[in-house]
Amino acid sequence: MINNQAGINEKHSERIHHGLDILPSLKYGIPGGLGNKRWTGELLLATYLQASTGQPPSNGLEYRIGDSGGGFDVLSWRKPGDMPRLATEEVDLGIPLNNRAVGAKLSIPFPFYGGGMSFGSISLNFMIARARAAEKLGTYMSTGEGGYPEQLVPYKDHIITQVATGMFGVREETMQYAPILEFKYAQGAKPGLGGHLLADKVTSEVARMRESSMFTSLYSPFPFHSVYSVEDHKKHVDWIKTVNPRALVSVKVSTPTDVDMVAIGSYYAGANIIHIDGGYGGTGAAPEIAKKNIAMPIEYAIPKVHRYLVSEGVRDEIVLMASGGIRTADDIAKAIALGADGCVVATAEAVAVGCTHCGNCERGRGCQVGITRG
Amino acid sequence: MVSGTGVEGPAYERFHIEAKSADHVYNVPNKFDVHAKRLRLAAMLIHETIRYRFNRDIVLSRPCIYGVFSGRLGGFKPIKQRCVGCMRCVQEYPHIMQVNYGKKYRELGDLHWTPESVFTILYESSTGKIPVKGMGYKGSFSGEGWDGIWTDMSEIVRPTRDGVFGREYISTSADIGSKPFFLDFSSSDDVTGKKIRLLQSSLPIMLQPPESSKLDIGIAVKQSASKLGIYHMSRSPLNAYEEDPWYVPIVDKANLGKLNLDRAPMIEVDLFTSNRGLIGELRQRYPSKLISVRLKIDEAAEDEACRLFNDGADVIHLCADYHGFDYSKTHSHISHGLRRVHTRLVNEGIRDRITLIASGGITRAEHVPKAIICGADLVGLDTTLLIALQSEFKGETRDRTDCRLASRKIEVAWGAQRLINLMASWHDQLIEILSAMGMRDVRRLRGDVGRSMTDEELREQAFEGIDKLS
Repeated sequence: MINNQAGINEKHSERIHHGLDILPSLKYGIPGGLGNKRWTGELLLATYLQASTGQPPSNGLEYRIGDSGGGFDVLSWRKPGDMPRLATEEVDLGIPLNNRAVGAKLSIPFPFYGGGMSFGSISLNFMIARARAAEKLGTYMSTGEGGYPEQLVPYKDHIITQVATGMFGVREETMQYAPILEFKYAQGAKPGLGGHLLADKVTSEVARMRESSMFTSLYSPFPFHSVYSVEDHKKHVDWIKTVNPRALVSVKVSTPTDVDMVAIGSYYAGANIIHIDGGYGGTGAAPEIAKKNIAMPIEYAIPKVHRYLVSEGVRDEIVLMASGGIRTADDIAKAIALGADGCVVATAEAVAVGCTHCGNCERGRGCQVGITRG
Repeated sequence: MVSGTGVEGPAYERFHIEAKSADHVYNVPNKFDVHAKRLRLAAMLIHETIRYRFNRDIVLSRPCIYGVFSGRLGGFKPIKQRCVGCMRCVQEYPHIMQVNYGKKYRELGDLHWTPESVFTILYESSTGKIPVKGMGYKGSFSGEGWDGIWTDMSEIVRPTRDGVFGREYISTSADIGSKPFFLDFSSSDDVTGKKIRLLQSSLPIMLQPPESSKLDIGIAVKQSASKLGIYHMSRSPLNAYEEDPWYVPIVDKANLGKLNLDRAPMIEVDLFTSNRGLIGELRQRYPSKLISVRLKIDEAAEDEACRLFNDGADVIHLCADYHGFDYSKTHSHISHGLRRVHTRLVNEGIRDRITLIASGGITRAEHVPKAIICGADLVGLDTTLLIALQSEFKGETRDRTDCRLASRKIEVAWGAQRLINLMASWHDQLIEILSAMGMRDVRRLRGDVGRSMTDEELREQAFEGIDKLS
């Protein structure tokens, strides 16, 4: 029986790897049911191909934009005119993550790191894969709010510990591991609503990690019930700096009309990174009404925050990271052109390992490729 | 009834809508169409049989976790209705498997109703639940009308999730009628002066099935409205409505004599088919009843709204066509006309003395708060009710007098539960939106455009200085 199971696993692993390699060749065309307006079938296949080869497609697959009809998908690059093309080695993609005079001087070799995806909403295998990749690339990934599995400890120098409203799995120990601590105030896909881990996903492991009961829905409340002002927020930042004085502090917020005010508040509270998460970001489960309708898309929030921080004279002291619908390298470049320092990506990482953006992550049966938990 | 004030409605109790499963009774097309190329599948089976040395478990193991390939015939006859479009089978066997959107699914709806929006209403009305999905938003960046508006949220205020789970109360009730600027009290603390005529609805929603709807649909609407504590409108002279305190008759010259208006808390005059003289006539005959006036949105709507106020209307029911476009020359989206009328009434200083109902094209839960932000007190639901009751598309549903949506025969109890479920789902979604803003009362949202962001304005601001391609 065990041999059969091993054989079955081997068969399907081999088949899916073969499929992910061959589908982008377009030998069988673009599957009709694959993709949607934001992640088109072409974009998904192009991402599979880039994940397999490390190169952009050369067969005409669209790998830069989707078909949403707005935002990054309608922004294009101005022709450089007489500007000479630079040699690749002359281009520095690195960005610092701390622009303040004090604190650790961390930087990343390219302008993006991995966003929060919690243990419980994603599988341990995917979590470890992300951590390994972050280590190899010299960048970071965030735990999300679900605890810090011990298998991640070997990669702790590349792992951002997220402290979110439910405080699930947040312990002093895991906060002290982290080079960067991330406060999650809100998430772009469900702004103002907190989180909800469906009961089906709260297995014994997840319950242990989150110090809760098995197969009981877990809610991350909204907001932090100890934070109702910038002063409260400052106390929070002070607390976290007391627990881990080495760590940089990132503050993740979504994109309301006053996102610029929120950003400046975070600056004065002592944050090193303000991370804005736009409305079209990813999630393991969220009400459809929230994803589409609450808070502005990241394309509009970036310039708003950037200009305000400039006008307040503090732009050079805080790092502005953008997420929530960053799908491609082109999106990252456009986000930076609009005013961000860099981006935080998560869904693209899931697509790189076979996600089809089908949106069935929340179902009891879980993810067909084992990225999210079922 | 609040003593002495004339405010009618049930005494306070915590509002809750009980949803119960009410499955579809007519077939709903499969969203996905799965197809296996049988010869290639047979060849693959032979290949795998040899490769895995006749190990039946391994050879017959299929990648689908949803059981599409279950059953004796396995992959040769996929169980299509189980397919959720995860595409795992295509990822593993792209040379054999094809998954496309089903033809009947793609043909569902009309120019306004997308297949996805029809499916959403069907889901909501059968379960009463909020549609929840994994991954991020999958649709267009923005769009015309409601799709070009985003609602606001607040990073740090209550009540939010607490409100969603009932620890704090978020009110979704709406007042219908005219509020005075102040109250006069006698020495014994009784309210004196002009009596306030105000009705209360548990939701900022009125039900008004299109006129082509069959009788059983009308009865299902009546039953659901009374269970929900909301009002429903019809021009049908149905005996069953006569004792119904939630029934608002729509009158015009043609049906005036056929309706018993004595029990109705509110009467709606249809200006599509009548003239304004009828308002005065009814006001004289029924001085204590609320008078609502059904008005088409066009270039003159704001002037006409002011005139109707002066004529004694308590409520103005602004109507666009069933796709949400007004009757002006430009056929603008209802949101524009609604904002114009609301703003004009504010500027005239009479906004609180009149109620605005907006209807036409309110087809998704998010349209309710967005219409309220644009200035409505309540919205009217029309074609959405028929979709929930599995009516059939026979063409475009846009025209109020020729809506090509054929109602099917239904069991009244089933229909009433479907509508209750739909409202349960929309109520919870309205609370999600309000809670994200930290707002406790939907009435506070009315006309609060600062709680919204429009695509047009944001694009102007954000992309300022970026050249436009011609």
